[in-house]
Amino acid sequence: MRPEDWKQYNPVLLPPIPNLHDIQVYEKNSGYDSLKKILEDKENWSPADVIQEVKAANIRGRGGAGFNAGLKWSFMPEPDGKPRYLACNGDESEPGTFKDRKIFEYNPHLFIEGAIIAAYAMQVDAIYVYIRGEYRAFVQMLQKAIDQAYEKGYLGKNILGSGFSVEMYTHMGAGAYICGEESSLMESLEGKRGYPRVKPPFPAQKGLWGRPTTINNIETLANVPLIIQHGAPWYLGIGKETHPGPVLYGISGHVNRPGVYEYPAGMNIMTLINDVCGGVRNGKKLKAVIPGGSSTPPLRADMLDGVSMDADSLREAGSMMGTAGMLILDEDTDMVDLVWRISYFYDHESCGQCTPCREGTGWLQKTLFKIKSGQGEYRDLETLLSICNGMEGRTICALADAAAWPVRYSIERFRDEFESKCKKTVYALA
Amino acid sequence: MPEIFIDNQRYTFDKPGKVLQFMLDQGLDLPFFCYHPSLSIPANCRQCMVKAGMPVYDRDKGIFETDEEGNRLIRYFPKLMTACNLDMSDGMVIHTHHSDELVKQAQADNLEFILINHPLDCPICDQAGECPLQILTYKYGPEGSRFEHKKVHKPKSIQLGPRVILDAERCINCTRCVRFTDEISKSHQLSIVSRGDKNYPLTAEGESFDDPYSLNTVDICPVGALTSADFRFKARVWEMNQTPGIDVSNGKGCNTYIWTRDNLVLRITPRFNEHVNDHWMPDKGREYYREFNENRVSGPKIKVGKEDQVGSSWNNAMLTFKETLEAASPENVLVIGSPYASLEDNFALKTFASHLGITEAFIVPHIIDGYGDGLLLVDDQAPNTQGAALLEFQKISASELKERILKMKPEAIVCLDDRLLDRESTLQEVFSSSFSIVFGSNMTKTSQQADVLIPVTCAAEHTASYVNSEGRIQRTVPAKETKYTHRRLNLEMSMSRLDHFGTRYDNWVNEDNKIDCIPAWEFLGKVTIENNPIVWESSKDMLEHLSASLPVFEGVSYPAMDSQKGIQLSIPKS
Repeated sequence: MRPEDWKQYNPVLLPPIPNLHDIQVYEKNSGYDSLKKILEDKENWSPADVIQEVKAANIRGRGGAGFNAGLKWSFMPEPDGKPRYLACNGDESEPGTFKDRKIFEYNPHLFIEGAIIAAYAMQVDAIYVYIRGEYRAFVQMLQKAIDQAYEKGYLGKNILGSGFSVEMYTHMGAGAYICGEESSLMESLEGKRGYPRVKPPFPAQKGLWGRPTTINNIETLANVPLIIQHGAPWYLGIGKETHPGPVLYGISGHVNRPGVYEYPAGMNIMTLINDVCGGVRNGKKLKAVIPGGSSTPPLRADMLDGVSMDADSLREAGSMMGTAGMLILDEDTDMVDLVWRISYFYDHESCGQCTPCREGTGWLQKTLFKIKSGQGEYRDLETLLSICNGMEGRTICALADAAAWPVRYSIERFRDEFESKCKKTVYALA
Repeated sequence: MPEIFIDNQRYTFDKPGKVLQFMLDQGLDLPFFCYHPSLSIPANCRQCMVKAGMPVYDRDKGIFETDEEGNRLIRYFPKLMTACNLDMSDGMVIHTHHSDELVKQAQADNLEFILINHPLDCPICDQAGECPLQILTYKYGPEGSRFEHKKVHKPKSIQLGPRVILDAERCINCTRCVRFTDEISKSHQLSIVSRGDKNYPLTAEGESFDDPYSLNTVDICPVGALTSADFRFKARVWEMNQTPGIDVSNGKGCNTYIWTRDNLVLRITPRFNEHVNDHWMPDKGREYYREFNENRVSGPKIKVGKEDQVGSSWNNAMLTFKETLEAASPENVLVIGSPYASLEDNFALKTFASHLGITEAFIVPHIIDGYGDGLLLVDDQAPNTQGAALLEFQKISASELKERILKMKPEAIVCLDDRLLDRESTLQEVFSSSFSIVFGSNMTKTSQQADVLIPVTCAAEHTASYVNSEGRIQRTVPAKETKYTHRRLNLEMSMSRLDHFGTRYDNWVNEDNKIDCIPAWEFLGKVTIENNPIVWESSKDMLEHLSASLPVFEGVSYPAMDSQKGIQLSIPKS
């Protein structure tokens, strides 16, 4: 199923089946079959085989970085009898992203099944599901689903009589953006302040409580049962070859029908806006698209020709796939205001560990506010760009980059708009 | 041997380590704030960024790939790396600000970031003059700031605990203090609160930062955020003399710096010694500085009849001392050495006593069981208990001493600088029944009841050695002048910036606060008895004699102690 045939696409992550969150309905719709397939035939499905299959499916992480999930799993060292962990990242704190909540809400068992398969593949002892604190209702839903899975024997000791055991716990975040970064997520799970860790050592060597740990996004894990059930070739047949599989597009902003849509990866952005979401609101013209959450560089409408939602196409266009949480902006959007608001968010959410990010986010925000309120001068734009230079790639985690990119690329791509807000000076322009 | 190239200069290293520490060991310069050799490495200040790369290795041929000119091909890391947590490896290439413009720019950018919310109140800040941020900004920082907005305001002058005050605005969030309480003192009392540019260290609500090592956080704070409640606003750093010393408040013998101005000790800070105290010292040792200034005995004092002590001349005191001891029969004189006094003073007393035919001499160790905490506080409260014991002073308890005095009814008691009566109140009555001669540095109860009180120098005023509870012999250097010493004449005394560069019209040299006292051994040497055995000109000569005559002190001398940071004597630890 290629993206061009999107009209014939039948959702597999969020299929339109009523009450799918209930384990009986889920089981009736071939739920937990992938898990049974593996655990009842362990000779053909050794942990290494599962990893091989997932690696072959070339599933790219849905959390933002887009790293091959099977490859990530294979980084785990050999089991040595001591604890190992899987952490599931459901923090979903990037502004513009709201896809994992749909999985918690409508199809939690698919994720649970995927997490158990991943746990089996990496031979881990416990799964921690780190969920955004604001998702209180969804935490309860997921917890109910987990309880059901325990009752049916899919979780706990000796799962389905196979001798494999794994426990699953939910953990609510406390509202910090930074805890969606994998190493600070681990710090937070350990009960500490959410400061990103210095890498190396990588989580697969030293993760939770110093033990090997893998961190995967919720949506990534939800894809795993489908790969096992239908096989890697089927999965590679969906979306683009370089970026296969179904993707949950979380589309918000100035469109007629915003929401979470499941389609193959690599959908044309204009198709998503015009055909899937019913076009830009109130018949306005499109101005820009932020393709993958607020930290990805915005794309001007005239840059969107033939650009599709997959990692390679977006990189070529000058942005990133991110979480596929698309923000659609119409012609009335004030870019300065928007970028200031994004900067304000990052200023508020910087953990304060590294100097460039701690101080730079505040400086960006204050300078943008100055421009926004009509007090800006042309030289402020140069200052903004040079602050971005000082922040990018100079910190422990990627938050500084996430804060700097929207500013840098907005200025580069909407410079006239920024300049029109600046005071006219008598000095020669830089 | 593995090699590393720093700024195109080749260095070899024999054991694995981090690049920054290696550079510091080699005497190379690189700015940093959060790194501390005795703490974990958080790499959060991002100041020590360098450009790092590895040579490209051809696995098939087993050689490093080279370009046309035969130079190794270097593959650089895509981002600048922090040197503090970068492991050295064979063939690594490092470029610092000396050879790379980007690194130079990154260091200046980072300092500009640090300074945008820093209050820049150096003129009223205690840290000014010894502030890494100030120094590094002059050296690596940008010329000015482009920050035109309101700075972030945070709480000022927060009393974190009894001894430490926080100015949160100055804080640059290096987390050294937090890591100190987590990793060294293990009190876990500090943690960073709030987020982003609003964060600063604080205790839990209602908790007081009463860690017995709390003032170390003031030392390691790279800015003036944490200041000592006691030293705050007392002196500028450049007005003081900094002299190496030994902590005499405890048996551990922490190495210190004694900071003086106008012959007053203003503060005591730790001096690095990996064998004793690393970079740290307990707060108790720092508070001891008052003993060097306050309540000192200046000029000899003599009790006439039952009256209070009255001032006396040195001649008179010496004569009374001599006559009292000559009049008494040797077996009727009780000689008490001191675990608080230096090795030299104790040795002089012992030698003098045996010359008079007094065979027995005692010390009363000051041990508080359970006082030690396994870090830098030990049960032994005195700095030289081991040293006195090595000179064959008998260790006895206070009650044993009392019994002995009651039985012996001595005609005279000679007591070296100790707080016997202050710490053992039961001794008071038995002391007053005998004629007591006390060498005292401070006006304590012991000094006050003395019939003859000889003022002696304290650890901040003399050159002397002390043996700590682990059997390590270390020595002091005079930090403040007495009436009989002079900074310009005593070449051992450390010079301040004003000593070196001031003119004679500058008024930093004055006669204030000079105590009329001499070392106890010097006094004993001046007593005009026949064949006075104290023939040495200086404590240095005395220690040389001691070293030659007692096998345990073999090889011990002041220069040796200086170069080896004290000498471990081969005696069992107490």
